[in-house]
Amino acid sequence: MTEIPETPILDRAHQLRGYRMNKMAMGLSRPEGRAAFLADERAYLDRFDLTEEEITAVMSRDWRTMIGLGGNLFLILKISAVDPVRITEIGAHQVGMDHESFLRDRLGKKE
Amino acid sequence: MATIVGGLGTSHVPSIGAALDKGLRDTPEWKPFFDGYLPAREWVREQRPDVAVVVFNDHFNALFLDRVPTFAVGCAAEYHPVDEGWGPRAIPPFAGAADFSWHLVDHLVENRFDPEIIQEIRVDHGLQVPMELFWGRPADAWPVKVVPIFVNVLQYPIPLPIRLYELGQALGRAIESYDGDERFVVLGTGGLSHQLQGSRAGFLNPAADRRFLVDIAENPAELASWSRQKYVETFGGEGAEVIMWLVMRGALTPEVVVRHRHYFSPASMTGAGMIVLENA
Ligand SMILES: [Fe+2]
Repeated sequence: MTEIPETPILDRAHQLRGYRMNKMAMGLSRPEGRAAFLADERAYLDRFDLTEEEITAVMSRDWRTMIGLGGNLFLILKISAVDPVRITEIGAHQVGMDHESFLRDRLGKKE
Repeated sequence: MATIVGGLGTSHVPSIGAALDKGLRDTPEWKPFFDGYLPAREWVREQRPDVAVVVFNDHFNALFLDRVPTFAVGCAAEYHPVDEGWGPRAIPPFAGAADFSWHLVDHLVENRFDPEIIQEIRVDHGLQVPMELFWGRPADAWPVKVVPIFVNVLQYPIPLPIRLYELGQALGRAIESYDGDERFVVLGTGGLSHQLQGSRAGFLNPAADRRFLVDIAENPAELASWSRQKYVETFGGEGAEVIMWLVMRGALTPEVVVRHRHYFSPASMTGAGMIVLENA
């Protein structure tokens, strides 16, 4: 099931690759995880055996790359609980559009 | 014997709960969405169901990728809201209907469905939001008990649409064979069109959503025959979860009456649909 373009859920190798990053994000479901992330983000990330590429993607809030490396949106979205960003901004970033154009052209929202 | 008073379908977008938490119910952006549920709220008040069987998915809040049940049935006495990252939402816990849950898992296994049995779990927006939409948020206790059915719609392989329809048929027979006088309502949740991941993010398909809200009543067998790929193509990567409505529909009779229907797009990034069905 990989023939639908631009839809990472159907790509198993891609999904499996994201396991450690997703586990890191799952840790943010608990107050202790969020406190550790806020106190020393790099030290928190170092607990999860991530690659430098994954660490850079997380620390720079590079949503497109996090998803591209197998991060699942529902999991990495938990980063927005400690460092707020709207889900539509995450969408726009993945598509490579500015936020206003994304709301207008993809979601059909009027100004 | 227990009775089925009807089936409810609804989206379960987390932003709906967040909008309620932030007091945005009556803002221009949200009012038309919430007002669309008022006739359904009235229907629920009139029907006064005792038990709601809620078919939904956890979004990596109570369950992680380490263990992924395709189907799971909650058999707990109580389900508390889970911490999704912002702390548990300030809504009352949901009382379970454990006696029926055990009857249901017996019935399912005897009919060759083999769900995971869960005796302790918290529930996320997938269950919370539909309950708030149809019952309103109570001050201290929900006026209905819940039986959660968890479906894996996130980690492929997800179940076939036809399998969910058959699960619904088994659920309907389980309710009808339950020795009690409770009134049951079945909730199918999730969808409609949306995609949150990849460069196709922001995909919406309002025409297909409106068609779905007709076909789920009139042509459920046709919808059950679709492939998973067709759901992903038509409703988006995350919108394919709308297959969970087939469980609700399968629990009803082949012919149904549509009491209420509502569509609003977009709620956050999602085409938001609602339907109220009764057995004909
Ligand atoms: Fe969902």
